[in-house]
Amino acid sequence: ADSPSAALQRRDLCARGIRLAGKMRADVLNLLDAYAERQGLDASASVAAVEGVPAAAVERWDEQTGTQRLLENLAAYRAFRALLAQMLEEHREQLGEADAALGRALAAVLLQVSAFAYHLEELLRLESRGPPGEEQEQEEEEEEEEEADGPPPQPPGLFEQKLRGLGVLRELAQWAVRSARDLRQLAKPSPGSGPAPSLA
Amino acid sequence: QSLKCVTHNLHIMICTWDVTSRRRHGQTDFCYTTNDLSPPVCFKTKEKKVEIPVPESSSTVTITTSSSSGTPFANKEFEINKKDVLFIPVTPRILSLMPDFSTSTLNLKWSDNGSVFPYGLDAFWQIQVLRKETMEKVTEVTYHSKLTHEDVILSWNWTSDLPLECMSHYVKIRCYINVTQFAGLKDWSDWSPVEVIPGKDTDPSGSGVFPLDTVVAVGSDVTFCCVHEEGLNITNMTYGSKPYPMIQLSSRSNAIRVLNASASDTSGTNVVCRFNNGMLEGTVLFVGYAPDIPQDLSCETPNFRIIKCTWKPGRPSGLYGKRRTKYSLFERTSGKNVSCEVNEMNRERVCGFPVMPGQKIYDFILGVSNPIGQTESSLLVDITQRVHPKTPEKLTVSGNNSTSVHLRWFINGSFAEIRLLCQIEISSGHSEQKLHNVSMPGGKLSAYTAQLNALLPYTKYQFKVRCSAADHFWRWSDWSRIEEFTTAEA
Repeated sequence: ADSPSAALQRRDLCARGIRLAGKMRADVLNLLDAYAERQGLDASASVAAVEGVPAAAVERWDEQTGTQRLLENLAAYRAFRALLAQMLEEHREQLGEADAALGRALAAVLLQVSAFAYHLEELLRLESRGPPGEEQEQEEEEEEEEEADGPPPQPPGLFEQKLRGLGVLRELAQWAVRSARDLRQLAKPSPGSGPAPSLA
Repeated sequence: QSLKCVTHNLHIMICTWDVTSRRRHGQTDFCYTTNDLSPPVCFKTKEKKVEIPVPESSSTVTITTSSSSGTPFANKEFEINKKDVLFIPVTPRILSLMPDFSTSTLNLKWSDNGSVFPYGLDAFWQIQVLRKETMEKVTEVTYHSKLTHEDVILSWNWTSDLPLECMSHYVKIRCYINVTQFAGLKDWSDWSPVEVIPGKDTDPSGSGVFPLDTVVAVGSDVTFCCVHEEGLNITNMTYGSKPYPMIQLSSRSNAIRVLNASASDTSGTNVVCRFNNGMLEGTVLFVGYAPDIPQDLSCETPNFRIIKCTWKPGRPSGLYGKRRTKYSLFERTSGKNVSCEVNEMNRERVCGFPVMPGQKIYDFILGVSNPIGQTESSLLVDITQRVHPKTPEKLTVSGNNSTSVHLRWFINGSFAEIRLLCQIEISSGHSEQKLHNVSMPGGKLSAYTAQLNALLPYTKYQFKVRCSAADHFWRWSDWSRIEEFTTAEA
């Protein structure tokens, strides 16, 4: 069981994480509307599951341990960080200075996602388990790519790129909701009082 | 019967004939004369075809056909006149047929086989482009060339009004050579074997909307096609937000035609194909303008180290990011080329070019290009006559004399090649502003000084200075900061 100070620290980190997730969701939804409008897309367009974007929906959410929640959250936000950075790069390449406002909004959300990922790492460090190194995750991704043999895929066309951006932002908005729920779950003291259960 | 002779190279002719008798035909004795003096040339053949030289004027041919037991049963003599010989060029050979999907252009390369023919003959090449498995003719052109007695690779481009991905395209070619000095009959060669560029609708996993992410000029007419996998149906195709009537090209390919396209937004105009399973495929069209000729191109140097050129870009192209209009500055004398970093969002255009050691005259060409077009503007300039110095810095005023002061200032730049003209503005509360001009040899990264006399004692003055080229005035620098000084008491 945790020492009272660790429990207090975790509850504080969870509370701050919930606020971060709420702010991030609001900004992502604003960005989503602006993105759809600036890219000439129908905001309700159906988009195939975007490769590399972990789905926010999870089965048997209740049964997840605290560690599983944090690890899945961290993996998701690291993936979103890479995807948003790619979107920003594509934005600069395609539009240059022409739509600086959308570029700034994208950069702002990327910053929040990076901050949230760091926040999750803090929570994982708190349980003296420590977050998985990014290199380890990258190696797993590279192994998956190597297993998928065949010629390198054709670079996506611009429309496909636009749709993928829409899919990334939508999924990120879902994840912000899930993260807030996960963190609320983590912040709960376990029944029968006493310090909150350890995350193991 | 019906002896026919065809030549492909004006030297050798292939003669063929028929044998009407039903008797089993063994072999043939074939004799021909080359001219009236020499004896006939004879040989045996089992074929009903021989290759013999094209006669100078005429040749007498005797064909004796024997049965399989060797008994001659038919004998006939023919007189072949040169004018009865038919000249048909060898069927042309397509070397390559290459598609450029980004421009929907086919490039055809073939050999003219000219080494076989005398120099200078006119050759005509008929090229047909066909579509769909049903080989519908889309276009037929006749291309003319001159033979040079060497084998030359000829090339021909054709731009389709339909993206090449939309359906299969086929090309074939034949030729006619106008051999003026050949008295015989002349005809087109056979068609070459067909070369094909398969459409995406023939690729089982082929799908998408085409052309992919292309750029066109405002006012263009563009055809888009949506290629989909077997079993899917298109519910509609939209350009921007407007649905367009669909034209079926094949079982897996539908098209829409957009006329007189207007300028697109910064992120381009989406062309979307919606399927009955709810999924979307699409492409993006960028519609903009070719660059205008840059106006008011002007170049000056602030410091004899860099030359700054400015211009007015004219109408915005409407293209951004990697499709934006790009500028480069080429200088003919030095051969140096500089690409200019330009922010398409602000109106001012500036480009820097290094001053070349010992070079005064610069012959500039400002090249402008974007995916729709290119243009240029030029300027010949003597930079010693285009000096626009930087603002004078570190102005200091000193002096312990009641009626004169000593000014000292610094200008960043090396002006050793010219004389400078500097103007000092003197103002004080009591009197009107005065301007004092002073010229001096230019220096290299140096300070400049001037002495002002006939001032009033014990008076507070404000001084500021600006400079320009003395001999060929171009532009004043900006004024320096004001420096205050009170003259000593008398």
